[in-house]
Amino acid sequence: MASPKIQHLLTESCKFLKRRGVDYADVRWVEQLHEELVVQNLQLQHVSHSTSEGVSIRVLYRGAWGHASCCRVDGEGLKQTAEKAIEMARAVALDAPGKVKLHPVPPVQARYRSPLEVDPFQVEMQKKLDYLMWACQILKDHSHIKTATAMLEFFRTDKLFCSTDGALIEQQVTESGGTIEATAALDHEVQKRSFPSNGSCLAQAGYEYVKGLDFVGEAARIRKEAVALLRAKECPSGTTTVLLMPDQMILQIHESCGHPVELDRALGLELSFAGGSFLTPDLLGKFRYGNKRVNITADATVPLGCGTFAYDDEGVPAQRVPIIREGIFVEYLSSRESAAAIGRTSSGAMRADGWNSIPIVRMTNVNLEPGEGTLQDLIRDTKKGILMATNKSWSIDDRRLNFQFGAEIAWEIKNGKIGQIYKNPVYTGITPEFWGSCSGVAGPKEWKLYGVPNCAKGEPVQIMHVGHGAAPARFEKVQVGGKR
Amino acid sequence: MLLGESRLVGALKQAARESPADQTLLAVQREGRTTLRFANGRIHQNLHEEEVTVWVKVAHGGRAGVATTSSLKHSSLEKALEAAIAIAHLSGKATVPAFSASPPDQPTPRLTTYFPETVHRSLTEIVRLLRSLSNRSQKAGLGLAGSFVQGESELAVAGSQGLVQYQPFSVGGLRLVATKGKSSGFAAQAFRDINTLETEALLERALDFCRRNKDPRPLRLGKYDVLLEPEAVAELVEWLSAIGFGAKQVQERTSFMTGRMGDRIMGKSISIYDDGSDPRGLAVPFDLEGIPKQRVDLIVEGKAEGIVYDSQHGKIYHRPSTGHALPYDEFEGPLASNLLMAPGQAPRGEMLKRMGKGLWITRFHYVSGLLNTQEALMTGLTRDGTFVVKKGKVAGAVKNLRFTQSILEAFSNVLAVSREQHLIGDPAQGFSSVVTPALLIKDFTFTGQTT
Repeated sequence: MASPKIQHLLTESCKFLKRRGVDYADVRWVEQLHEELVVQNLQLQHVSHSTSEGVSIRVLYRGAWGHASCCRVDGEGLKQTAEKAIEMARAVALDAPGKVKLHPVPPVQARYRSPLEVDPFQVEMQKKLDYLMWACQILKDHSHIKTATAMLEFFRTDKLFCSTDGALIEQQVTESGGTIEATAALDHEVQKRSFPSNGSCLAQAGYEYVKGLDFVGEAARIRKEAVALLRAKECPSGTTTVLLMPDQMILQIHESCGHPVELDRALGLELSFAGGSFLTPDLLGKFRYGNKRVNITADATVPLGCGTFAYDDEGVPAQRVPIIREGIFVEYLSSRESAAAIGRTSSGAMRADGWNSIPIVRMTNVNLEPGEGTLQDLIRDTKKGILMATNKSWSIDDRRLNFQFGAEIAWEIKNGKIGQIYKNPVYTGITPEFWGSCSGVAGPKEWKLYGVPNCAKGEPVQIMHVGHGAAPARFEKVQVGGKR
Repeated sequence: MLLGESRLVGALKQAARESPADQTLLAVQREGRTTLRFANGRIHQNLHEEEVTVWVKVAHGGRAGVATTSSLKHSSLEKALEAAIAIAHLSGKATVPAFSASPPDQPTPRLTTYFPETVHRSLTEIVRLLRSLSNRSQKAGLGLAGSFVQGESELAVAGSQGLVQYQPFSVGGLRLVATKGKSSGFAAQAFRDINTLETEALLERALDFCRRNKDPRPLRLGKYDVLLEPEAVAELVEWLSAIGFGAKQVQERTSFMTGRMGDRIMGKSISIYDDGSDPRGLAVPFDLEGIPKQRVDLIVEGKAEGIVYDSQHGKIYHRPSTGHALPYDEFEGPLASNLLMAPGQAPRGEMLKRMGKGLWITRFHYVSGLLNTQEALMTGLTRDGTFVVKKGKVAGAVKNLRFTQSILEAFSNVLAVSREQHLIGDPAQGFSSVVTPALLIKDFTFTGQTT
């Protein structure tokens, strides 16, 4: 957590900014620690240890924003950065057509620390490597497996947020995660399977989370499925019923719901880079996004979530906000400024990916609420369809309507039973039509939360950790196709 | 303001000299960058970043360790070294770490990559420029969103056995998206020298594409001949690099180059190479291991010719590094990131006429090259202007389309390559670029469409 010296530097910086006549300012100190271990084909491939520390200052001066950051964390460094932020704001204010308005937030003094059982940074490196080596050994145990990889990573982010309104918020977030993957090759065919997701899967938790993932227990299944894919048939093309496992649903939610409900996108502020959103403000409260089974919530309070915190990077408290309620689009992810622009209150989604970044509207944990029954019930109730698992590829248009997503593996469903494996499954659709075709979401017992460490947005690009929870879900009349 | 060679290299050399490891390599990237983003008639984001990243790699007792820090302070470098050495002490099979802390065998090209005017152009002047662009767009009845970036970077590398490299860079860029309702038009330019910025041409291009993009109609899906603007070609070439031009992808057999060296995998008119010293791109003379970037021919007249290496993967293949190492804390393997596609003979202005009937595509959006990397099967969408061409002339706009296409197949079906090339780069990143012509391609496959 922040030392008294850091706290003193930040509060002094706020006092200095007040004396310089800012309308508002916040000063954010961030220290990040990242440890990564990779074992590949029973060799220690890579271990790294990264630290990064700096301060970000955001000022509202004469009605315009200015922002500056630096990694020199001392009195002189903060003073220079504060002056730079004011200089930035002044240049814009001279010619600004209007003043920035913020939805008011009462300043608080608060502390938050991720709940965890075992501090991952206190676990011996050797123990972590032994875990990876063991999993890797099982993954590699077939002549067709050419690359077996096991990876762990741990993040610790300490933040101190201080504002000229009097807020003083200290937060420490610890995240743990990893992945295993097996790449099988035979002749010209190469196929990969991963667990628990393609790329690292994180949780806001300690070492107990990665132990609980049970890489060693899952490795044999992943290896077998990778090898089986080498001989599998290409996923057939056509319109059919599709069942998506949670490790595919998370990408579906992320791309077709999480991004389009970001209010800055909807207001056109991301047009020059990531694009806009089909969910424009005039649709709020009335647009049918999906059918009645579809309930999606942005929840920054859910335990273990990578989008969980106590306060966002504007000092707004974490919230649990329905985004899609019984299929109707009812709320945005928003900030103090963007919410004020449409006459609403911030949903507390303003986050920066580090000390050198400006906070922008980001996903928290955007979750599909569970329905009822089980995956088996959904399968049993499906005469003909395809079950897909583990996201492999993703692409969606700049307004988040036309998507095409691929999965690592699929299975035929015939007369309520699982059949043969298919390789290279992809499916495509138009967002509201797809969610409108939802014919079932499994219940809470099969609902899983995933931490996604690579959500890219903004200029310069920021990489944010976000969360998504889902149970297996079923959709009707979906266009499915393998290679075209 | 640049910290300068003596300060950066001095800090690294001292740490390398005092390191107890058998071999030590340190690299630093220092950046100062201003970004202004605008939309809806105002600048809504306005930031200046000052950042230092130091990477430390040690070889100790036959094992390697890596650490990074965001401070150049001697105490921070010492801590990073300690962390790297602690990692190197971990048990595991000892191998001779595959990097050198000695001066490279090859000479480092002398490049001019820093243009002070790019960095010193005043904020007030830039704000006025952006305001003027917005006003002019507004007068034309169109909205305008975009971003302006100006910045400087310094790269320095020092090794315990005498390796020393330093290079300063300036970088900037302007991106414009003109809008009217659901119609939009895009133009962008990245540069090292701000005096090469063609503001007027960019604005006109964005406005022109937006005007032409009026009332887009649906189009029957299928195969169409396409004229791809350099922005669209660049995205495909970047993906080819990410999935296939690096030694790691070839080693793991996921690359479309695996087992096909010397084979023709694209059309004869396609040659792609990587050259960090070519000033037409965002040139970079050496990588983070301090190795001078070599020109590597990747595709020569359609044949798979070469791949890029860093020290680690060079060792696996018994080849020297080609100077394509990524930061030490990444393990994605070497990356070709200063890419060029050789020009052809076709005058750009005549390519629509040459196509006769087909689609003119200004850029792609959200391409994914992960569908089937051995065949370079990719999907993505068109964006900011897709036009039907009939009898060599634009006959109207169509809604954004999704393609699903093997790029090996597409680059085997090239009908014409423009003689003009354009630099496509991301100024926020500043060290990678694609210099590419426009391409006329036969039978490009479209599988979906936006509403």
